[in-house]
Amino acid sequence: MSEPTSSLPIAVPQQARRRGFRLQRGDRLVVRILLAVVLSMLCAGALIVISGHDPIAAFIALGTGALGSPHQFGAALNRTTPYLLAGGGVAMCFRAGIINIGAEGQIAVGGMGTAAVALAWPSDLSVVATVVALLGGAAVGAVWAGLATAIHLGRRVHEVLATLLLNFVALLLVQQVLAGPLGEFGAGFLQSPLLPRATWLPRIPQFSAHIGFLVAIVAAGALSFTLWRTRFGFALRVAGNSRPAATYAGFSLPLLTWSVMLLAGALAGLAGGIEVLGLHRRLIEGFSLGFGFKAVTVALLGALEPLAIVPAALFVGLLEAGSLSMQRQIGVPSALVVVIEGMTMLFVLAATVRRL
Amino acid sequence: MSELLEMRDIVRCFGALRANDGIDLDVRAGQIVGLLGENGSGKSTLMKVLFGMLPPDSGKIVLRGRELSGHRPRDAIAAGVAMIHQHFMLVDAMTVLENVMLGWPAAGRMLRRAEMADRIRQTSRRFGLDLDPFARVGDLPLGRKQRVEILKAILREANLLILDEPTSNLAPTEVADLLKILRSLRAEGKGIIFISHKLPEVLELCDEVVVLRDGRVTGRTPAAGASRTRLAEMMVGRDVTTPHAPLPRTPGQVRLAVREVIVPGFSALSFDVHGGEILGVAGVDGNGQLELVETLTGLRRAESGAIMLDGVDVTRAPVAARVRAGMAYMPADRSSTALVRNMSVAENLMLRDSDRSPYVRGALLARQPLIAKARELMMEYDIRASGPGALVARLSGGNQQKIVVARELDRAPAVLVAHQAAWGLDPGATRFVLDRVIALRDAGAAVLYISSELEEVLTISDRIAVMADGKFAGLVSRAEADRRQIGLWMSGRAA
Amino acid sequence: MTDFLAAAIRIATPLMLAALGGILSECAGVFAVGLEGMMLAGAFAAIIGAWLSGSDLIGVLFSMLGGAAIALAVAIVAVRYRADHMVTGLTANILALGLTSYLLRVAGGGRPIAIHLTPLDAWPIPGLADLPVLGPLLFMQPPLTYLALLGCVVLAIFLTRTQAGLTLRATGENPEAVFASGAEPLRVRMLAVLACGAIAGLGGAVLSLQQVGTFTDGMTGGRGYLVLAALIVGRWNPWGAAAACLVFGAAEAFELRLQSFGVPVGSYIVQMAPYLIALAVLAGLGRSSKLPAAIGRPIQTD
Repeated sequence: MSEPTSSLPIAVPQQARRRGFRLQRGDRLVVRILLAVVLSMLCAGALIVISGHDPIAAFIALGTGALGSPHQFGAALNRTTPYLLAGGGVAMCFRAGIINIGAEGQIAVGGMGTAAVALAWPSDLSVVATVVALLGGAAVGAVWAGLATAIHLGRRVHEVLATLLLNFVALLLVQQVLAGPLGEFGAGFLQSPLLPRATWLPRIPQFSAHIGFLVAIVAAGALSFTLWRTRFGFALRVAGNSRPAATYAGFSLPLLTWSVMLLAGALAGLAGGIEVLGLHRRLIEGFSLGFGFKAVTVALLGALEPLAIVPAALFVGLLEAGSLSMQRQIGVPSALVVVIEGMTMLFVLAATVRRL
Repeated sequence: MSELLEMRDIVRCFGALRANDGIDLDVRAGQIVGLLGENGSGKSTLMKVLFGMLPPDSGKIVLRGRELSGHRPRDAIAAGVAMIHQHFMLVDAMTVLENVMLGWPAAGRMLRRAEMADRIRQTSRRFGLDLDPFARVGDLPLGRKQRVEILKAILREANLLILDEPTSNLAPTEVADLLKILRSLRAEGKGIIFISHKLPEVLELCDEVVVLRDGRVTGRTPAAGASRTRLAEMMVGRDVTTPHAPLPRTPGQVRLAVREVIVPGFSALSFDVHGGEILGVAGVDGNGQLELVETLTGLRRAESGAIMLDGVDVTRAPVAARVRAGMAYMPADRSSTALVRNMSVAENLMLRDSDRSPYVRGALLARQPLIAKARELMMEYDIRASGPGALVARLSGGNQQKIVVARELDRAPAVLVAHQAAWGLDPGATRFVLDRVIALRDAGAAVLYISSELEEVLTISDRIAVMADGKFAGLVSRAEADRRQIGLWMSGRAA
Repeated sequence: MTDFLAAAIRIATPLMLAALGGILSECAGVFAVGLEGMMLAGAFAAIIGAWLSGSDLIGVLFSMLGGAAIALAVAIVAVRYRADHMVTGLTANILALGLTSYLLRVAGGGRPIAIHLTPLDAWPIPGLADLPVLGPLLFMQPPLTYLALLGCVVLAIFLTRTQAGLTLRATGENPEAVFASGAEPLRVRMLAVLACGAIAGLGGAVLSLQQVGTFTDGMTGGRGYLVLAALIVGRWNPWGAAAACLVFGAAEAFELRLQSFGVPVGSYIVQMAPYLIALAVLAGLGRSSKLPAAIGRPIQTD
């Protein structure tokens, strides 16, 4: 009986940047990733030509749509936040050799949890209400991830299938709850009532971005520190390289799995809560669609290094913020951005394969 | 007798390493040529080149008058070469029949099962292979699995058979059976290349012996009348040093006591290891050694029985607790258990001790002390690498094992469990490992040394046990050890 | 009851076709996580092909090309470049989603092009269609459903009785052994993945061309992932996987029936049925021991 030894989905630098340790592997990796981005932009250009539009104009519209004004940049930061948070959690799981693709569902139930707490919490204290609501969302996200972990560890179901299938269940659950206890009557579509003002996330002046982005940056820093400077992070990295070695080293694989999955679930749940409190100010149907799978993309674009996930998430956030402009002004369908994301990922995967 | 194979001036490098450095080899029909050499001498590389699994950097290969170049295994097979690999190239989940039919055009596009099954039965009877076409290969003992590969070679009418370390996993009776089969193949006019590092077998079977060392041919002689010491010198070099045999000592207290521990898949086992002694366990791989070792060290759950280390019950203790109690373990699987190949030398040195100083301060790793300690260990144990940050995957097998040795022995353990500690290492590295193990024993630790290389076990052990079928078939002191008796014990599970 | 079963078979058809493709891929050692994208691409290509040419047959052929196109990306990145199979499959699904939505709007000049074709009719088999129970169940189905059932037979024969099938299965168990036997495991895997895409594309054609006559964004709705579960439940055996797909199809048919009866269970909860059943069956089975031994492992033949 032998479990396949887990391995990282892509080759990642195994050391953080520090003096005395060689850097070259990391540098080459960055170059390869950048090349992949450029290549996919070129392919996107070709697709734009097929649609009968001018690629240069389209890319300019894309760029100005994201960076044109502080207000637009703020919108891009808002878009970036959930990718950064969820992507960070997913990256930690992948580092441990656990392929968690349940972020989609964890974000959804996290938002649901936050909305529920926000609606039920009769507090006037703004900070308390917000924090408690967010914690509630993180907790629900963690529980959902825990559910998948229990199925995976308890009944030996592959974690990809467990997290994947639970995504669909989560989305339907949120819809059901919106059709029922959390719904707003007479709204016409599935959404919750507007959440109390006290729970809304404050905005950064001038940018119209909510502070969720700052939370996400801090989280990324904390994750990177954990990965490289703590014993827990070391254990994760060993487990991701070789399961037998982790057991031999004295680490408990089930404990590691639970820890990192609950962490990722909490981060995803937090991302969902931030979307609800910061962006929509209510729970709406389908608010989390696409975030989960894209979080995997972002994690890999950042080579599973939480600090590098910041630019990766920004890349995706800027792309998506600009895509609506591009569609409005030039007429290129915004779905092109999804194509760019997919192609970039495929090129990155091909370019960053581990040497056996 | 015609020239079957001519290999001229074969060169193959891996980076800076010249694995094959201008090798010539000839084989005639109806001749068995022994290719003798230690681990790392270039034998396997040469054969992979011949079989088309690796292209040579330069050199010529002529088979039955036709040149083979730029070829893949498919072309070698079509030219009449068959390879019986050291690690069998068989599909465990399939039957003997399916394995034989795989990649064999004669079996037809729509598989002709009944016909092939008959042919298998006939050929098996003729050569004494004793194979059932519908047996699942994964269920067969190692000796039978090897015969499936030989069967494939015969059915495909190969003229030249290459056997790569064929006896490393066989009990003595199975070895005798194999040699008989090979002799009948020789009588049929086949040419055979027999690769081994075991001198006695090569001399018994082969017509001619070619000795390789460090990628070059150091000797070529007919087997009849060849001097064993001369051949050994050619294999290992002028300084044919064996590790010093340990000086006899009176053993101390029992440090490792194993009582009625059920080896998973086998039955219960009991034994003691005293401080200051090496209990060597010989035996063919696959008789429960791995299961025993993993149960003792905590990688597997003990279902019943007791394991006491210096009087402390560690039967249910997790791995980390056993390490702290003083149990060191050198696993047989170097590449994915004992070491993390993608991490640095320093991180591997800290692998099992990341919860204690100097490696941690609280929950945080301490980088400077880690690097300092790593440098210290690299000096003391002669680990050749570009620095503590070097990736372990880049190191040679010998240096990789030195990391394992350094890590486990630096803890000054009470008990060392060593499983195949010198497997696959060149003579210099082997000597290093054995010397350190003996030094540990001299310092008073109890050592359980498990290896499938009988010579190694006989050299360094104070007491010798033979493991067959999950039990100790015999246990003797070094003075009483008799090779014949040991060989009989090892064959307890003959195919 | 017969109606219900006939509906279950109809709903299960796209799943079955995707499962046949998935078996080819996974038995050769490549996780078929990209099935969702291959189906979606096939669904899109089927509608475009049928619309452009006016012929349903052309549409079906196009669907195979569409599925194979996505499979090509997976084959190159995961097999040739040895990237992780799961992640490559997921990425291919994202790509397929974006590409089909994009091209749908390009064809329509900015808005999704409105194509409405007649869904395929049932082809009753003369004589057999009049049988009491089996008639309406098995012999009055649309053409692609017949193809799916036939496909099970063909695949079973291919895998167990042909040299090519043997080589394919061996590649999933021990690719190094295949190399040593004289075949090229890399080529075997790439061909298997391409075939998987083509057949899964047919599954997509069922959704778009056979069932509704149009294409909408992301219309596969996670079916490709359900098929992954069906493969494990069915133990990578064509009949087992088909049976599992039938169970999932029945779950969805049941859910539709419930909705039409106005049962007071929340309609979204009911829609969870296929996924919950899949999870329950997987949990009940535990880890299948018949997983192809070398699945997911990149090929090292040097």
